[in-house]
Amino acid sequence: MHRIPRLALLLALGLSATAARAQSFRVQCPSATALHPRACSGGTKAGAACSAASDCPGGACAPDARYPGQIKCQEVGGGDGFATMADGHQIYLFGFSPLSGLADVQAGLPGTQPADVFNLGYLGPNYSSAGAGTCGGGTNAGEACVTVADCPDVTGTCAHAPNWAPTPNNGGITEPAGIMDMGVLAGNAPAPLMAIDEDDEFFLTLSNPGMIMRPDLFEQHTVHFHGYPNASSYFDGVPDASVAINIAGSFTYYYTAPDAGTYFWHCHITPPEHLQMGMVGQLYVRPRQDRLGPNDALRDALIAANKRAAVDPSATGLSCSDLLCTGQTPAPAVDTGARGGGKYAYNDGDGSTRYDVEYPIQMMGFDPNFHYVGMTFNPEPFADMKDKYFLLSGRGYPDTVNPKAISTVAADGVARPAQPLPSVIRIAKSQGQTRALLRISDLSVTEFTTLGTVGIPMTVIAQNARLLRDLAGRNLYYDTNSLTLGGGESADVILDASNVPAGTYYLYSTNLDHLSNDAENFGGMMTEIQVF
Amino acid sequence: MTPSTNRTRALAALVAAAGAALPAAPARAAVPGITGPSFHLVASADFVSQPDGASIYAFGYGCDGAPAGFLPARPNGAQGPAPTCPQTMQLPGPTLIVTQGQSVTVTLRNALPPAAGNTSIVFPGFQVTSAGGVAGLLAQEAPGGGTVTYTFVASTPGTHAYHSGTQADLQIEMGLYGAIVVLPATPPGGCVRGPFSLAPAAYGHAATCYDREYLFQLSELDSRIHDQALAQVQACPVGPCPAIQAVTEPYHPNYFLLNGRSLPDDMDTPYAAGYPHQPYNANPHMHPGEKVLMRMVGQGRWQHPFHFHGNHARVLARDGNLLLSAADGTSLAGPLLFTTPTVSGQTQDQIFTWTGKGLNWDVYNHRAGDGSRCIPDASGYHAIKTDPNAGEWCADHLKPIPVTPPDPTIVAIGQWYGGTPYLGIQSTGSFTGTNEPPGTLNQNPQAGYAYMWHSHNEREITTNDVFPGGIMSMLLIDPPAWFIDETL
Repeated sequence: MHRIPRLALLLALGLSATAARAQSFRVQCPSATALHPRACSGGTKAGAACSAASDCPGGACAPDARYPGQIKCQEVGGGDGFATMADGHQIYLFGFSPLSGLADVQAGLPGTQPADVFNLGYLGPNYSSAGAGTCGGGTNAGEACVTVADCPDVTGTCAHAPNWAPTPNNGGITEPAGIMDMGVLAGNAPAPLMAIDEDDEFFLTLSNPGMIMRPDLFEQHTVHFHGYPNASSYFDGVPDASVAINIAGSFTYYYTAPDAGTYFWHCHITPPEHLQMGMVGQLYVRPRQDRLGPNDALRDALIAANKRAAVDPSATGLSCSDLLCTGQTPAPAVDTGARGGGKYAYNDGDGSTRYDVEYPIQMMGFDPNFHYVGMTFNPEPFADMKDKYFLLSGRGYPDTVNPKAISTVAADGVARPAQPLPSVIRIAKSQGQTRALLRISDLSVTEFTTLGTVGIPMTVIAQNARLLRDLAGRNLYYDTNSLTLGGGESADVILDASNVPAGTYYLYSTNLDHLSNDAENFGGMMTEIQVF
Repeated sequence: MTPSTNRTRALAALVAAAGAALPAAPARAAVPGITGPSFHLVASADFVSQPDGASIYAFGYGCDGAPAGFLPARPNGAQGPAPTCPQTMQLPGPTLIVTQGQSVTVTLRNALPPAAGNTSIVFPGFQVTSAGGVAGLLAQEAPGGGTVTYTFVASTPGTHAYHSGTQADLQIEMGLYGAIVVLPATPPGGCVRGPFSLAPAAYGHAATCYDREYLFQLSELDSRIHDQALAQVQACPVGPCPAIQAVTEPYHPNYFLLNGRSLPDDMDTPYAAGYPHQPYNANPHMHPGEKVLMRMVGQGRWQHPFHFHGNHARVLARDGNLLLSAADGTSLAGPLLFTTPTVSGQTQDQIFTWTGKGLNWDVYNHRAGDGSRCIPDASGYHAIKTDPNAGEWCADHLKPIPVTPPDPTIVAIGQWYGGTPYLGIQSTGSFTGTNEPPGTLNQNPQAGYAYMWHSHNEREITTNDVFPGGIMSMLLIDPPAWFIDETL
């Protein structure tokens, strides 16, 4: 009997030593690249290449605005967490946590940042101490505090960790201690939202803090950028075809921004498990057409971009130079004379995808039985998987119209904003808004689902991150009141409220059993379209 | 050392077993089938195997006697098994390959067990006349032991489905379905047929030329239904018998199939001896820049969102109807998709390609002074077809990879990983190899780029509750110098 404890102790020590040697978190976010160099802005060296402010007397060293796009960065952690379903039940997640852009993510915005913002470093609360500092003087010396008011003696101060602040900024968390602190039990449903612009470079770091609720699993995670054209298999995130990062490591994925559109991302480790458990998020790319101004003709700009992408000097730019339209969109057959200055879903060249407000919406489903099994130590029933929580961006109705992040107290007693994304659609006609862009993606792992509207028609303008247009330049948009998607598909929809009276309308699943939150028989995949 | 959990142990065992089962030479795929235009098929019963070791009772169409011939032709150097067509049944049924305009006759003999009753075939998209047999609801039927003959003109090129029109909920579930490929009568000039292709183009339109082609029939299987059918067949070996009463609703499939097999069997060789009743695999390969025709067929009952990693594909046609612009009647109008939802009985032809354009790093890891070159053609790709980097996107030539890869000790290495981020075997200092630890199981010795092609309703990439499996395979983009033998 005495031999067993000794052996276990030796084994534990050995494992600990191994883990310590293998630890290698490493976040990569360069401030300059060959595609996006830095140059002096202002001063005597204006326009010259630079590495630091000291190279630019009288000016600043900044991204060179003459190069289109920027370096964008984001960091996520692969781990676990908890969320609250609309019927009040808590559910266990495998999830991606935000490790950068926390201010934006918690506000329901994409967490992707320019390199200069990312590299400022994280300032904000930390979860393990729940915001507590230490009174630095006076009669309360050594006591826990959040603000100096908790240290009432006139000589007292509330001292926090160097990177503490009452609310988070958007900087990246690069220190291993911070990654563990902010990454454990902080999984989000859906995963942190990402958005980049055409011509950007995107450095996405995945750090693996482990899954504290499942110490029996030594789970790797990956990022699959679903739909990325001409992908390298190395950065495609399929563990069988590439490599997958182990606990205590980081993998930085690199992408040049692809053609504009609504894509998504997810873990590709055991996808039936990791996606069902919640490791899915949306990623969209804004068109370079957004950067045109009122003096720029949209069609001319598109033709010029098509020519650049074609390389062939004889290319007209009117249509695509290859069958898959790599980096191109056929020019519209009809020249509408449209000029820039708006926001567009695609490089349409005719202004037809202009919108006033945009809403990324991700269709998801959770099987509570599977999530329970995933939280415990039991074999997983894939064939009998049956979603019973039907979600839009991680929530069921009526939580879908809650405008704030939804926090859930995890197993460690700390509340985290695990569900940051409302999907209420608001069109303020009183402020001149009429057109809402719905960026819809489906990451269900079990069923096809149809979304319908009543009272306000949908115009489907794109599928799978590509404008619906034929190679002759004819728009193939269609008006409808229903949209059917399976797992791994996306579509872009424009809601035009021009001729719609003010009021509340609904976007809801017409698979009526999907309008439920488990046994609660009204809710599920539904949200409001508020026109006012 | 990593402790193994039950799930991890099972997964490791499955992957190891899969590795052991796979042949030493990597497998490939094509669109194998039989030629007509006169076909003699038999419907009968036998067992099919699944990667978890299950042997499942199934119905299927097979060849009644020797077929007129097999396609694709086997070019010099092809080393795969000789094509065969089972005289009992196969899952899915034989792929019927004909040419546009031909008058096709299919004579079907019913050799199913007595309890199965009549059987038949419907050919959606064609105007069919029948001879012999007995009247049925959807088609003329072959009674037990009897025959029926169907005749139609293969009027349009493209991919079509066929399936039983008798007690369809049971007979299709049991495996009575297959595909028809109609080749264009007049391929466009200037297209070159690939050595393993059936034709130079999918349709009589210059934009439908391709270099390689693969068929993907997506279906599912609920083994409990098959068990019920087997029990009732065994209970009545000699007719007359009561009709099989299998419970087909609610429907809970536990196997998900690509061309009748699941991963990893679908990456084994076509016509492999280990799967006598499942001759077709689903294991696409290509070189950079090649155009791959994907013939997609939804069989069975469920829709499946088939996601192909690596790039979009251009939809050419649906149900053999080429999609052209109403504006000029000539330009292609099908959408670009990265996930194709299959629909039961519906087919979709689409072309996939991959060039690596725009990655911003040299996928071949060329360095200054290494003797490599990249001479752009009018479109920017390396023009010398005999160079090992033929088709390289020249704008990225010599560019270094923009990130530092993680330490090899902190990652798990995939079986299809080529050992480095780059395409092709790399020279790494003092040796040439794949840069992987000794003993690594490697299904990709040519260090190609592997992309998972799979159903994105992700539970469908399991086989009877075990991951990986189901509707899943890999596209391998092999280095330009690597010979792709699609018969393997």
